[in-house]
Amino acid sequence: MKKSLVLLLSLIFVIMLAGCGTSGNGNKPGSEGQQTAGNGDQGGKTNNEPFEITIRHTQVGESKKFRLALLEDVVKKTEAAVPGLKIKLDGVDSEVNRKERLRGEMAAGKPPEIFDVMGSPDAELYAKEGLMLDLTPILEELGLTEKFTTLVPFTHDGKIYGIPIGGSIEGYFYNKEYFEQKGYQVPKTLAELDDLAAKIKADGKFPFAQASKDAWIPLMTTNNLWSYYGGPQITYGLKTGESKWTDDNIVKGVAKHQEWVQKGYFKKGELGFEYAHMRNQVITGEAVMMMDGSWANSVFRDPAQAGDMVGKIGYFNMPPVNAGDPVVVMQDANNGYGFSSAVAEDPRKLQVVKEFIRNMWTEEMQLRGLKEDGVLPAMKMDLDQMKTVSDDPLMQDIFRAVSEIGTSFPAFDALVQAEVNTALSTGIQQVISGDIDAAKMLENVQAVQDAANSAAQ
Amino acid sequence: MNKALRNPLIYMLFILPAFILFVAFFIYPIVTAVNNSLTSWNGISKTMTYIGMDNYATAVQDKIFWYSARNNVYFILFSCLIQVPAIVFFSLLIANVRRLKDLYKTAIFLPSIMSTAVIGILWGFIYNPDFGLMNEFLGLFGIEPVYWLSDKNWAMIAILITNAWQWTGFYIVMVLAAILSIPKELDEAAAIDGATGVQRATKITLPLIMPIISVVVMLSIAGAMKAADIVLVMTKGGPAGATDVMATYMIRYAITSFKHGFGNAIAVLIFLFTIIITVLYQFLIARRTERIEY
Repeated sequence: MKKSLVLLLSLIFVIMLAGCGTSGNGNKPGSEGQQTAGNGDQGGKTNNEPFEITIRHTQVGESKKFRLALLEDVVKKTEAAVPGLKIKLDGVDSEVNRKERLRGEMAAGKPPEIFDVMGSPDAELYAKEGLMLDLTPILEELGLTEKFTTLVPFTHDGKIYGIPIGGSIEGYFYNKEYFEQKGYQVPKTLAELDDLAAKIKADGKFPFAQASKDAWIPLMTTNNLWSYYGGPQITYGLKTGESKWTDDNIVKGVAKHQEWVQKGYFKKGELGFEYAHMRNQVITGEAVMMMDGSWANSVFRDPAQAGDMVGKIGYFNMPPVNAGDPVVVMQDANNGYGFSSAVAEDPRKLQVVKEFIRNMWTEEMQLRGLKEDGVLPAMKMDLDQMKTVSDDPLMQDIFRAVSEIGTSFPAFDALVQAEVNTALSTGIQQVISGDIDAAKMLENVQAVQDAANSAAQ
Repeated sequence: MNKALRNPLIYMLFILPAFILFVAFFIYPIVTAVNNSLTSWNGISKTMTYIGMDNYATAVQDKIFWYSARNNVYFILFSCLIQVPAIVFFSLLIANVRRLKDLYKTAIFLPSIMSTAVIGILWGFIYNPDFGLMNEFLGLFGIEPVYWLSDKNWAMIAILITNAWQWTGFYIVMVLAAILSIPKELDEAAAIDGATGVQRATKITLPLIMPIISVVVMLSIAGAMKAADIVLVMTKGGPAGATDVMATYMIRYAITSFKHGFGNAIAVLIFLFTIIITVLYQFLIARRTERIEY
């Protein structure tokens, strides 16, 4: 009896352990180094068996409904082109995807087949670990390699690992109606912008809308300011040690931002406001100008979100320090789609990736994104062609702003290490709250930069 | 069969499933965290470089880490000194209500079943400086608007109030269960002897529910040490890190910066601090209140 019982229990556990041990298909993406996309040829055989792939996207919420519709159309076209294919759309908030979901999946070695990804520093790190598909041969095959404004944020060791979905510039959205009523002109220099802000403040309104709960929002202003004072190239040298955060010109930029806070140019309590609150300040007329990415135009063109303010909002670039100096603007294409390196092991999935790229990155889709969603094309496109897409006055202002750009630069977070971004994010909030001055804050950031540079060596 | 049950091996086989689960979901993660904390792992790479105790040294030398730890202490103090007395007070009140007792119990329990995200949004409105309920109320007394979530002097207290609101109902239901399980004869005998309601509450009920209060305090301490979600939802650790607790410090300075080795070191420190505080509480306070005999 005793032996039988022991045998029976042992048998149960052996079965249980065996069950645990054989789970999973043993497919470890990247375990054989970086995967390069092959040609996906299946030896002439057509396999129509149903299969599924997942696209992780971040087109969630009202403000991204047009972009989601565009993605859904691409999905339909791709499903139609690949027999048996079912695409599962997995929508996640962009911050959650970037900082939690995708990172966790990458750590486990199992990202979705197609996923939304930031170019730098994220894609670079994932590519280095062999988790992202090398798209160089696919782009060459599809004749797309030279079609993009920039692929730098997605390029690592000369190979391309992602494709930007759109581009953007940063500048000021402003209440055009208010400007006209008061007889104000779009400022030509920073000093004029300063004077304008003082007049608006004296009129009882907030010159600038800002919501600094997320530090990247105020840092748009700061990044553009220091790039004017120190030149856009100054940020490129921080990672190599050629330039320092403590440079007088960077200090000047941050100090100017702090000066605007101290003068009451931003609404009190903005450190606790969410991103949407900033737009609401402009829509309600509480604030007159707002530094934001050009993508925000979709909000101001949508009656459901902007109400009566539709058609009353304009856009201009942050003006240079001196009249006539070249206009320096943050122009970026750091957000796009990447593909799991595991796709290279399955010819059918590889075919899906090709079809997805073929359908997504077309002139038609880029112009549709521009027209419906106001996202500037990531692909090279003639400015006159862009102008024909939309006769919306706000879009025309943005096109004019693009045409005025003398020098563009990528956002600072694409040029420095993640921990430096964290230090600067905390630092700018300290500057806004008045805890610390610009020079001291940048000293702290430089200390983190030095440590990060040393660690990299 | 009796012989079989006298064999220790059989008992070991019976506890094996639980033991496997314990090892897989408790021991293994801890060992892994300790191992990772000794590396400079970026969270993605398949290779790890061991750097000894450097991550721990970085953490303990960082004043921002200790600032975050101080906020955890505020959580504990608020729980023990304000929340727990309130829990006991309201439990005693509800226990003595004659009508609609179930309604009160349900209503007070509701916040604890709501998601933290919903509570964050709800209280975000309450704390809104322009039209929030808190400032509307304070305005009745001529008090200037308070920037609850954006002023570093108020942000932490705003979070503590919200956190207390979320969990007080849960603990009240626990304490209420303990109160209602006390034999009625004890209370009736005291009443016949002329004891007042306050006397019966403090001299009869309170001593008899001390074990459950002790459990509530310990759960509060553990909850305070691992607090993160409510902070992330309400302030994201801001303004300027003023409401960062150890867990949000870990996310902000380690996980988002691809420094998982450092993040694991912080996680281990949180675990150690929690163990130390709960063990101290057990030895110094809780053990004295464990045995209750009617």
